[in-house]
Amino acid sequence: MDSRAYLLLTLFLYAVGAFHALLFAVFRRTILTTVSLTATLLGFAFHTAALSQRWTEAGHFPALGLRDGASFLAWAIVLVFLAVYVTTRVDAASLFAYPFAFALVFVANLTPASERADPVLRSLYLPIHLFLAVFGYGALFAAFTMGVLYLFQERELLSRSPRRFYYLIPSLERSDTIGWRSVLGGFGFLTLAIVTGLLWNHSLHGRYWTGDPKEWAAVAAWIIYVAILVARGRGGWGGRRAAWLAIAGFAVVVFTFTWATLVPAVAVGGR
Amino acid sequence: MIVVVGLNHETAPVAVREALAFPKERLSEALARVREEAGLGEAVILSTCNRVEVYGRSTDSSVDAVAEFLARYHSRRLEDVAPHLYRLEGEAAVRHAFRVAASLDSMVMGEPQILGQVKEAYEAAERSGSLGSVLTALRNRSVAAAKRARTETAIGRNAVSVSHVAVELARKIFGELRERSVLLVGAGKMSEVAARQMVRDGARASVLGGRTFEKAEQLAAALGGRAAPLEALRAELARADIVISGTGAPGIVIRREDVEAAQAARRGRPLFLIDIAVPRDVAPDAGKVSGVFLYDLDDIKTVAEANLRERKKEASAAEAILEHEIREFLEWRRSLEVVPLLVELRRRADEIRRTEIEKARRRLGSLTPEQEKALEAATSAIVNKLLHEPTVQLKQMAGNGQPEHVGFIRKLFGL
Repeated sequence: MDSRAYLLLTLFLYAVGAFHALLFAVFRRTILTTVSLTATLLGFAFHTAALSQRWTEAGHFPALGLRDGASFLAWAIVLVFLAVYVTTRVDAASLFAYPFAFALVFVANLTPASERADPVLRSLYLPIHLFLAVFGYGALFAAFTMGVLYLFQERELLSRSPRRFYYLIPSLERSDTIGWRSVLGGFGFLTLAIVTGLLWNHSLHGRYWTGDPKEWAAVAAWIIYVAILVARGRGGWGGRRAAWLAIAGFAVVVFTFTWATLVPAVAVGGR
Repeated sequence: MIVVVGLNHETAPVAVREALAFPKERLSEALARVREEAGLGEAVILSTCNRVEVYGRSTDSSVDAVAEFLARYHSRRLEDVAPHLYRLEGEAAVRHAFRVAASLDSMVMGEPQILGQVKEAYEAAERSGSLGSVLTALRNRSVAAAKRARTETAIGRNAVSVSHVAVELARKIFGELRERSVLLVGAGKMSEVAARQMVRDGARASVLGGRTFEKAEQLAAALGGRAAPLEALRAELARADIVISGTGAPGIVIRREDVEAAQAARRGRPLFLIDIAVPRDVAPDAGKVSGVFLYDLDDIKTVAEANLRERKKEASAAEAILEHEIREFLEWRRSLEVVPLLVELRRRADEIRRTEIEKARRRLGSLTPEQEKALEAATSAIVNKLLHEPTVQLKQMAGNGQPEHVGFIRKLFGL
């Protein structure tokens, strides 16, 4: 099978996984989580196969262009959320992630692959840098998700008449803790991603900073997360404020990242 | 045949349930009597505050005899008791036994005590020697089914009593309660039950006492915490995570200003105020302070009702699991019926063979031993060959859980 077939299979399985995650939110039957998890795990296996197959086909690490980029990002998000699920058993966390991963793979399936063969892309820096970056963004997405869950649960508790989310979402403390750990993890990965990016720049261009919008986006995100860390560590900004910060931080990351990607004539040598 | 005769909270008022209850220490005597007087091969008596039931195995239908026994044993007139009793046989009795064990028949659906009570009832029957293979099988299957229903559905998951709802809400806010501080304002029964649960979960307790400081000290000692006078309210509020207030005071005890002062000292840590007093202890607008979750008794009851609805939603899933288990149990019971059928079938065939040999002999006159032998061999071979396939098939069907053919075969051979 070629990578296209694998990716199509992945899409199908992620659809099943995402659909059952949403069904779980409505009906809250344990069996639905089981189906969702099984389908997603299976999809992830095919996704991994698709990536490795694509790597061979393209001759370089496949994360360039919309098709490969979206697919790789989805892969990392699913991996991060599977890890979150395995360590915390919070079903609700996958509520955003699986549909989002499905959407990304859907987009990837619709777009043709960009077949650019630049010798620069054979550098080992590329996969290392990209892995660190997607895990960083995946973890920040997890922090965002836990922030949203926190606010929903808080609203539920303040309303004093529990409805669906009261039962679906874990305790405030748990959302807060998982969100905090995600911020820490995401921050670590993002820092390393920036460092490797700068080193790669240096080996390519002889200087660390090239002024590429993606560099600015990454640094903006990094600064936001430093602010979150400081606010919590120094100012005791936990709970609701931490939830809002994680959401705002992730929004800025998405915005800057999109902007940097869409700016024309960008990123020829870099990424 | 399995029979169940009894009453529960739905069929009988508490006065009748009390009157027919069996005290634990007289169970073995009662079991012996019910077996004797109602002709039960095996018997189990389940007596809780919400139900009194006799489970039995009988060769014929003896539900009326059990009903009479219940009245006679408790010196009641049968007419007074009978309208409250259900008398179930066979499949209905089995279904009832399964539903009771899984607490689908309980007043508060999904309550966990009933399974323990059911197990105890069977154990008592076992000790007094009135438990045989049939009711043992019923116990094993119904207890296993109940456990399955509890783990695979949420029928027992959400709290439905005031103190448990309070604990569960605290967990929804703070996660685990280890190292959390619980402050009791006033020493009431409901606060105590909730606080005990929280302390079991690892929380620290302190008790504020008003006029009856002694009571506060006693409760604090029981909870392994400390007592403080009501004047220390603000300082204690600042330290507490969970406050359970249940004083008998006529007016407000915890004002909004107290809560605001406490919150200022807590750097936004959440504060969970549970007001179970009527009239209320906590000013209603204290709940508007940021980071404060205020629940009064009505709010807690709203949550309890929502939880009960949540459980009932799970009931159909639990019923489906039980239905599956009940079917398996009934099929297994029926498969046991195939053995006597096979014996009977063979006996009947042999009977026919013998009569026909007799008839033939009369017609043929005396036979040589060789002829005699040949006649025996020929007829036996016919019977054996004819019965071989049905025997194999029936055994297989019973093993596969398709014992419904038993009745058909009986009819076919006129057994």
